[in-house]
Amino acid sequence: MKFLTTDQLDAFLGYVAGQARVVAPVKDDKGVVLFRPWAPGMPVELDVLLSKQSAKEYVFRQSETYLKFGYTMEGLAAAQTESPEVAHAAATEAEVAAVDVAKAQDARVKAFETVVVDPVNEAPAQVIFGLRPCDVRGFVQMDNVFSGYGGFYFDPYYNAKREATTLVAVTCRDPRSTCFCTSVGGGPAGTEGADALLTQVEGGLTFETFTPKGEALGAFPGFAEVSQAQSLYAETVKETAASRVAPAFDLEGVRDQLRENIEHGDWHDLAMRCISCGTCTYVCPNCYCFNITDEIVETRGERMRTWDNCFNPMYTLETSGHNPRDIKSNRFRNRFSHKFWYYPDKYDSLLCSGCGRCVANCPTRIDIREVVRTMGSPRPVTVTGEEA
Amino acid sequence: MADDQTVATAAGASNTGKSRLTFADVEVGATTAKAGKRAGNPYLPQIATVVDIIQETPNIKSLRVRFDDPGVQAGLSFEPGQVGQLGIFGVGESTFAINSSTSQASDHLQFSVMKAGEVTSALHELHIGDKVGVRAPMGCGFPVDAWKGKSILYIMGGIGSAALRATINYTLEHRSDYDNISILYGARTPLDLTYKYNIVEWEARDDIDAVITVDREFPGWDGRVGFVPAVLEEMNPNPANTIAITCGPPIMIKFVLQSLQKLQFGDDQIYTTLEKRMKCGIGICGRCNIGPRYVCVDGPVFSMAELRELPDEL
Repeated sequence: MKFLTTDQLDAFLGYVAGQARVVAPVKDDKGVVLFRPWAPGMPVELDVLLSKQSAKEYVFRQSETYLKFGYTMEGLAAAQTESPEVAHAAATEAEVAAVDVAKAQDARVKAFETVVVDPVNEAPAQVIFGLRPCDVRGFVQMDNVFSGYGGFYFDPYYNAKREATTLVAVTCRDPRSTCFCTSVGGGPAGTEGADALLTQVEGGLTFETFTPKGEALGAFPGFAEVSQAQSLYAETVKETAASRVAPAFDLEGVRDQLRENIEHGDWHDLAMRCISCGTCTYVCPNCYCFNITDEIVETRGERMRTWDNCFNPMYTLETSGHNPRDIKSNRFRNRFSHKFWYYPDKYDSLLCSGCGRCVANCPTRIDIREVVRTMGSPRPVTVTGEEA
Repeated sequence: MADDQTVATAAGASNTGKSRLTFADVEVGATTAKAGKRAGNPYLPQIATVVDIIQETPNIKSLRVRFDDPGVQAGLSFEPGQVGQLGIFGVGESTFAINSSTSQASDHLQFSVMKAGEVTSALHELHIGDKVGVRAPMGCGFPVDAWKGKSILYIMGGIGSAALRATINYTLEHRSDYDNISILYGARTPLDLTYKYNIVEWEARDDIDAVITVDREFPGWDGRVGFVPAVLEEMNPNPANTIAITCGPPIMIKFVLQSLQKLQFGDDQIYTTLEKRMKCGIGICGRCNIGPRYVCVDGPVFSMAELRELPDEL
């Protein structure tokens, strides 16, 4: 364990920035804290507990072009040079127009003869500094999905960025009422997935490392040796913080009960006030669903993926008009069941790290803890709810 | 407070031996056509050329494609029932069953496309010689090996035939491995029947029992009239040692499954292949799940026994 005095923090970030892009929580002029690329002189916000959004954007981009493509146009030039003679032979204006149409069609066919596709995958080295341990676990949980855990496919776009990323966590000194990391296996000083952990103590921060990536940052010459008092102080901060996270639910049996209650009418009641806005999915450090779309201008285009939201009816709407999750309560059920049943079935872990952003940011005050407590425990039998 | 053990238990973790992959475990940059599940870039389509187009019905075309890289095409193999993503750069990709024969995999792949949305409409505009992007083969096929010695009953409606054609062809090419083979195929009208050239062949063979039906009377049609589930019940197939495989519109599948139960088919004797809105096709993007199973990687083939475990989100 090392020690960084408060006045050395900027120097440390400057040292790191010399080797990699630094991303850190920064307060904007409206008072909103978000992870942003850091530059010397920018104050890092470590006192506001949670950034508005998680830092997942820096590994799993909100919108990311992953292929560029271009159709070659050699055929078009050839078709155009043929045109004057053909047009000359045509006697009337109508005939000229007809020839032009045929020519254009011919040109289109020829022009689209070949396509060149280039995968795009930029992954500069970066250090995400000042993450809360729940946000670090968000990456760990997404890692399973994108890294073919259990015999599935490997995602080169996510993994290139993930491998180039160092995660530096900060112990939460003052957990909020919406925090529930301890109920899902984490804690305010959790180290799962973290390369290093800082803990704010009197006069500065203690610095612990857990991986070679973390140790590399420990090479900063401005670190001091940690005193026994500072070390003890850090332990106290961690213990106090953990004791202040209120137990939210008992995980025991939750998955089995979700399975048991899949058709239960209480899903309908819980989903009633949901407005399907998807805020919970966008602020979540674990939600990873995405859409894929193409854009093309003339002959050059891009294929990109963009965060999606399983509350949107369009998410599963098929071209025929059939929608397997056509009622809101089924879409609502999908998100919570995914986190505590579907994902665990596939990846032997949970898809929730207890950050509580969905609780804090939901415009209709839907609380994932209440949903898990309700649907993750034995329910009295009711008639399955119908939605108007 | 939940300790590691509670989380592990709640999440179902035991000593599973499962692990994550790294770049060292995959062929960096390779497509699924080149490297299957070891594809280093499973999002990257393999460029192919349209080599033939068959107008099957007024709104269904079959597109036969061949990979531009001859080595990739020559090395390709797939299981009957597997699917592929067929797409046009600039429009998008959609999932289609591979309906050409597995025995011809080293020569071409064929997909049947009903003109319905953006991608399918654009695919209908293609000419022979045009370029497409293909990610294939993907998903799980039918367990044709496990069915050896059994009778096979195909029950299909409309374009559902596309999802079963490779399997039908497989069982016909390995005819002696199977007992009776029956095909019940229905469409709205005679015009909507796909693969008419195959139907003629099925009806001519005396080792296949083919029943073709249309939903209602149609000028010039002197064949069978009636909905597929009703005709199935009239056929009254013997469930003994028989596997029933069905594919068609969701509403047809729903009633066929009910009819098969009435006919005493067990859940492990009934198979279907499902369709969902898909994007990535590799079990990541999230939308094609039915409960904990993804249609793209765990399916599209499911037994009725497997479907019973899942929420009613077909």
